[in-house]
Amino acid sequence: MAALAPLRFFDCNTFIGTPTHRLPGGAVSAEGLARALDRAGIARALVWHIAQLDGHPLRGNELLDREIAPFRERLVPCWSLLPAQTGELGDLDEWFARATAAGVKAMRAWPRQCLFLLRRIVVGDVLERMIDRRLPLIYSVSRGGGWDELYDLLADFPGLTVIISDVGCWGPDRFFRPPIERYTRTYLEISDYFVPGGIEAFVGRYGADRLLFGTGFPAQHHGGMMLMLAHAEITHEAKQAIAAGNCARLLAEVRT
Amino acid sequence: MISDTPLARAFWQDGRCRECPVIDMHGHLGDFYGIWFPRGAVEAMVQTMDQAGVRLLCLCPHASLFMPDVGNAALVEAVRQYPDGLRGYLAMNPNYPEQMARDLARYAECADALVGLKVLPDYHRQALDDAAYAPAWEFADARGLLVLAHTWGGSVHNGEAQVRAVAGRYPRVKLLMGHSLHGAWDAAIAIAKEFPNVYLELTAVLDDRGVVEQFVAAGLSERILFGTDNPWFHPHHGIGTLLSADITDEDRHNILHRNAEKLLAGVGVYLT
Repeated sequence: MAALAPLRFFDCNTFIGTPTHRLPGGAVSAEGLARALDRAGIARALVWHIAQLDGHPLRGNELLDREIAPFRERLVPCWSLLPAQTGELGDLDEWFARATAAGVKAMRAWPRQCLFLLRRIVVGDVLERMIDRRLPLIYSVSRGGGWDELYDLLADFPGLTVIISDVGCWGPDRFFRPPIERYTRTYLEISDYFVPGGIEAFVGRYGADRLLFGTGFPAQHHGGMMLMLAHAEITHEAKQAIAAGNCARLLAEVRT
Repeated sequence: MISDTPLARAFWQDGRCRECPVIDMHGHLGDFYGIWFPRGAVEAMVQTMDQAGVRLLCLCPHASLFMPDVGNAALVEAVRQYPDGLRGYLAMNPNYPEQMARDLARYAECADALVGLKVLPDYHRQALDDAAYAPAWEFADARGLLVLAHTWGGSVHNGEAQVRAVAGRYPRVKLLMGHSLHGAWDAAIAIAKEFPNVYLELTAVLDDRGVVEQFVAAGLSERILFGTDNPWFHPHHGIGTLLSADITDEDRHNILHRNAEKLLAGVGVYLT
């Protein structure tokens, strides 16, 4: 058997902070995450803070910035957004300028938890600014909203870069394939996608450029998706694109 | 490289490990309404097994569980096609007691393909300890068979109370708690400690970081069985998770093959 060529990993789905409800494997700080990445052999990670979901998006953004400051070489911040109508974001241009200054390369939204809709009349002014900046929205199906909401969002904002994340492990192909086919700036994060032959089938149909490696750490271990991707029956170039290249490319496209 | 142990290095480099042949105690086969399987046919499942060094898979086809018109014929046919790599659990659907009785009466005719029985109470909507299942439990208890039971925390069909009832009532059955009472991890540990005939099976458990560590810390390393629901979950995902987990390579050997080897020997299946 040929030796496995080295792979560089960029985890686009990981969080820090202490959840309201205890995780079986425990919470991790930014420092703990850095140690875990070292152990696993993962170079970089796009990180959010659980307080963005469990507490308040903007408080969580502040905690994230403070926590990861010593690790900015490898931990890239992902903020969470809100609608503008309540005034919590303040002046939108100033809010996005602060995000840029903080090095934010992606946003998340929690419409169900925060009780708003990802529709044009609600978040049009926010998401249009993201489209202008090519700033990706990471849409967590299991944490943030359902498939119906995702379909509505994409219909309203076909030019938005959307990374569909946390798709659930019980057979998501019939849900994610239609938007992948219809909207060219839609991507799939694979931490929950461990159906045998799934990566191979996806790459065979859509190419390797639409899949992004993620682990769900610390809710999930790093090694499951790492081993599965390392031995997927696709080319090394395809594996490397999924493991890190696609994420790095999307984040490099973000306009500051 | 996930972590730095001999097993991690071997699996990372080759995707499989000669010294650690994997035994998967929880599989299915064929199409199912709620999912599209890229590799759901038996030939493709064997391909998946080969990728990860899975030496044996014990399975029960979806058709046997959900299509009484097909029933267990699908199981025996698939296993006899790959006798070196597959064994089966005879599906027990208590909604059709006459079919259960007929299948149990024919168990000996296809014993070469079988290791025991499979029950799926949440889906068949009958409680694990309901009288409707009694013929299956009595049959398995009399012969010391394995019974793979779907279990889930909080379920009224196959939750803690139902597992506890049958574990005590049928002590010769080797009761595999499929999914280890998913979510009710403390209860799963308590039951496994109380009943020596009960085993913790890991399908859909390994995507919760920290749970297998709790099982091992409770002293149950020798009562944990690897499972994947293949063709639902790739064994590499489960193996990689175990390699990340904060347990030893000895624990990983127990979970990935040693515990299953002992159980299977008890029903006359010896792996060379």
